[in-house]
Amino acid sequence: MLKPVVHIENLTLKHQHKLVLIDLNWIINRGENWLLSGKSGSGKTSLVKLIAGILSASGNIKIELDPTHKLPAKTLYVASWYQFKDLEGDSNFYYQQRYNSQQAHRTHTVYTELLKYGQENQLDFENLDHILNALNFTELKDVQLIQLSSGEHKKLQLIKALWLKPQLLILDQPYTGLDALSRKNLSELLNEISTEGVQLIMICDQTELPTCINRFAEIKDGSLTVAKSLESVSVLPKKIVKSIPNFLSKAPVSSSEILISMTDVNISYGEKKVLKHINWEVKAGEKWLLQGHNGSGKSTLLSLINGDHPQAYANNIHLFGNKRGSGESIWEIKAHIGLISPELHWYFDASATVFQSIASGFFDSSGLFKTIGAEKQAQVEELIDYFELNEYKNELLKVLPLGKQRLVLLARTIIKNPELLILDEPCQGLDQQQTEHFNHLIDELCTNGMALIYVGHFETQLPACLTHKLLLNNGEVIENIKAYHTKKELA
Amino acid sequence: MANYFNTLPLREKLNQLGVCDFMDSSEFLDGVNALKGKKLVIVGCGAQGLNQGLNLRDSGLNIAYALRKEAIEGKRDSWKNATDNNFTVGTYEELIPTADVVINLTPDKQHTSVVNAVMPLMKEGATLSYSHGFNIVEEGTQIRKDLTVIMVAPKCPGSEVRAEYVRGFGVPTLIAVHPENDPQGKGLAQAKAYCVGTGGHKAGVLKSSFVAEVKSDLMGEQTILCGLLQTGSILSFDKMVEKGIDAGYASKLVQYGVEVITEALKQGGITAMMDRLSNPAKIKAFEISEELKDIMRPLFQKHQDDIMSGEFSRIMMEDWANGDKNLLAWRAETGETAFEKTPAGDVKIGEQEYFDNYTLMVAFVRAGVELAFETMVQAGIKPESAYYESLHETPLIANTIARKKLFEMNRVISDTAEYGCYLFDQACKPLLADFMKKVDTDLVGKNFNDDKDGAVDNRTLIAVNEAIRSHQVEQIGSTLRKAMTAMKSIKTA
Repeated sequence: MLKPVVHIENLTLKHQHKLVLIDLNWIINRGENWLLSGKSGSGKTSLVKLIAGILSASGNIKIELDPTHKLPAKTLYVASWYQFKDLEGDSNFYYQQRYNSQQAHRTHTVYTELLKYGQENQLDFENLDHILNALNFTELKDVQLIQLSSGEHKKLQLIKALWLKPQLLILDQPYTGLDALSRKNLSELLNEISTEGVQLIMICDQTELPTCINRFAEIKDGSLTVAKSLESVSVLPKKIVKSIPNFLSKAPVSSSEILISMTDVNISYGEKKVLKHINWEVKAGEKWLLQGHNGSGKSTLLSLINGDHPQAYANNIHLFGNKRGSGESIWEIKAHIGLISPELHWYFDASATVFQSIASGFFDSSGLFKTIGAEKQAQVEELIDYFELNEYKNELLKVLPLGKQRLVLLARTIIKNPELLILDEPCQGLDQQQTEHFNHLIDELCTNGMALIYVGHFETQLPACLTHKLLLNNGEVIENIKAYHTKKELA
Repeated sequence: MANYFNTLPLREKLNQLGVCDFMDSSEFLDGVNALKGKKLVIVGCGAQGLNQGLNLRDSGLNIAYALRKEAIEGKRDSWKNATDNNFTVGTYEELIPTADVVINLTPDKQHTSVVNAVMPLMKEGATLSYSHGFNIVEEGTQIRKDLTVIMVAPKCPGSEVRAEYVRGFGVPTLIAVHPENDPQGKGLAQAKAYCVGTGGHKAGVLKSSFVAEVKSDLMGEQTILCGLLQTGSILSFDKMVEKGIDAGYASKLVQYGVEVITEALKQGGITAMMDRLSNPAKIKAFEISEELKDIMRPLFQKHQDDIMSGEFSRIMMEDWANGDKNLLAWRAETGETAFEKTPAGDVKIGEQEYFDNYTLMVAFVRAGVELAFETMVQAGIKPESAYYESLHETPLIANTIARKKLFEMNRVISDTAEYGCYLFDQACKPLLADFMKKVDTDLVGKNFNDDKDGAVDNRTLIAVNEAIRSHQVEQIGSTLRKAMTAMKSIKTA
């Protein structure tokens, strides 16, 4: 009989005096494709990093790949977080840099990046087009890496993995940030490569899985439990709903009746048009869903509202009662808004603690550069308590599990009780329980008159309060609906 | 044109060299108001020009770019930078006559021609802003008496000026008003407002003078910042190769080592850098840096003296007039050194290993920083100014070496810095010849602690620690660093 591909015995991992994995055992045989689940912070990512050799711990991990097989005898771990580098090998970029046009080209284009990758790994370029097509990436070949949206970066990372076809492929939240069509196509591509001999280990909270997934496991209290099917993976108990902190139950102060008004807004980079003839109005208290495929222009649209895009000055945009470019500073604009986005998270101050990260929301800065008074301190403490982050309070944000980091930045977003919340894929990295908890909080906050713009690719994971919808396709508005109801409500 | 500094009586020389005031944040409460509604025109749209303009506009100010006709017609990078970000762009003739403030952010060497072109077009009572005082102080350019002349100089590369601003912070900035050109007394208020517009007021602002800025900036860049890093890097590399250390390893240690080592400097000064060494290595590094200081002191003094007398700028401007002959010859020479030609090896060097295996560079950095600082202070420059131009900027230059070695460092820094670096390196190498003969691989290339038992004499260690910590650059540094602790650390590859 063939040896198992992965054989794990008595694996024990400690993280800062806390046991994460305890005497864990796991056998992965040939032909098996696993889904690994468990709640946020249960050690899923740590476990797969151990298998990939990125972390080390006590115990035994044996990996037996087949050197005679036509696929490369490699284990590849695709992290849930993308990372790209400039031509000098640094990843020293900053928040919203992609919108500041500068001639000196510091990053590869998609094409030169793939060319380099293909040569390094001796890959067949004939296999690439099929993958690029399926993930709607063909037209991005000449784009600079820095200009890609977060969803497009995620896709590029997956394209490389699908092209390489390592014998063992570990995917950590591969569907995060992908639009519905891309998710469907990704599943099909994964099915394809699994028939060619790639084995998968996948961490994923979604229910729409590739059909090749045939084994299910869950980490619970540091051990691995094997489940018969997806349905029998234990469903997390519903969280007991707490009422929101008092200081957030007051109606936010509204600056004007019409918060955002855009008239024939156009954004382009050279020849490439990113937004075309956008007309949009958001009134105080309205709750908008903003959707569109990856690269449709959602983040660019939001950057115009948040004062992050230089081309806002050349367009007809009114924010909170003032014409853009009439002498306001971007900090005056940001003061009206609570924002979270994949980009904000990615470029957030690496030296900030959890407490500082939340408190920085008062000033819309990345990191805390001012001291805050007793009243504000108490509000930060209340939110830490609300999100059950007490044990992490003085830890650096960047060392927390991804889901917890998100909760911290969500707390930062609402701390000043802003009149407009912009939530660009806020629940990335949260488990189902956390997502429901957070969406419930949003629903409750929004009853007080807060306006909301919500970007989410997953129809089943939206707050119930949404009433309006703007749909973008290739930079154009194709739907502008005033009476939108989430599927959840209809169901 | 006469060297401005040399036209001053001694009293006024000392007076202007001594302008140095670390400003309290309460001095910036008026925000950008002094420039609000005014028309600001930036000349030049390179890294500083573009990024400062982006910040100023995002602070609610009215910004446009004046470029030379050829740059506009040829759609050069500066034109693209400005138009792609939706700024108004025009020729000098189109934009300067209506400007309230003209901000000159062209390279130093173009200042004379830019100022000569711009000045006749400027309206009565407008303001001309510089980011470096060479043109005023060394070239002695006379500015029309109705114009106000200020300086706002962020002490970081342009991309960092932008990166820090968008995250709600800023970079340390130096401001000044030229005493010969402040007819309405509005210079300081405008310089402060400008500083708020770029975010600099959040990270610490030093009020200086044109004279103090130039004389300290020149000294810093040619001795510790570029000069000694260049000399030290090449000598270290050659020594390792001579002693049989793998060339790839040596190349990587030198290229990245100086950045890792000076990162500690940025966070906690010489003290933090020295504390990264083991006790025996620290004592050794202290001893050899004392020796290095004695050897190099006359050279540092000569550089400072030539800067003060105007001799340095005289010979450099001669070379400018001569088509940069010396400069270009030397630049080519740097490109041909063995260090430059040996690619960094594919070896992993841990963060601590950079300290343990490169004790020599720690000693070079301590010697160079302290000497530059001491020499400046002795020449009448105030400690705060001396700190910014020595210790503060060292990690920034080290970062350019890590990116692409010395050739790149010389390309990125100003021509003034490069010329000074050339003079220093030429003179310093022979000076250190005897010293380098004694250096072995325990100081560069191998772990200093290997085959040693780690024992030190308590009293020696206490005395060494005391000497390091009580140096004036450490005391002034700890105060100034508190104002900028929030600055992001440089990420290494």
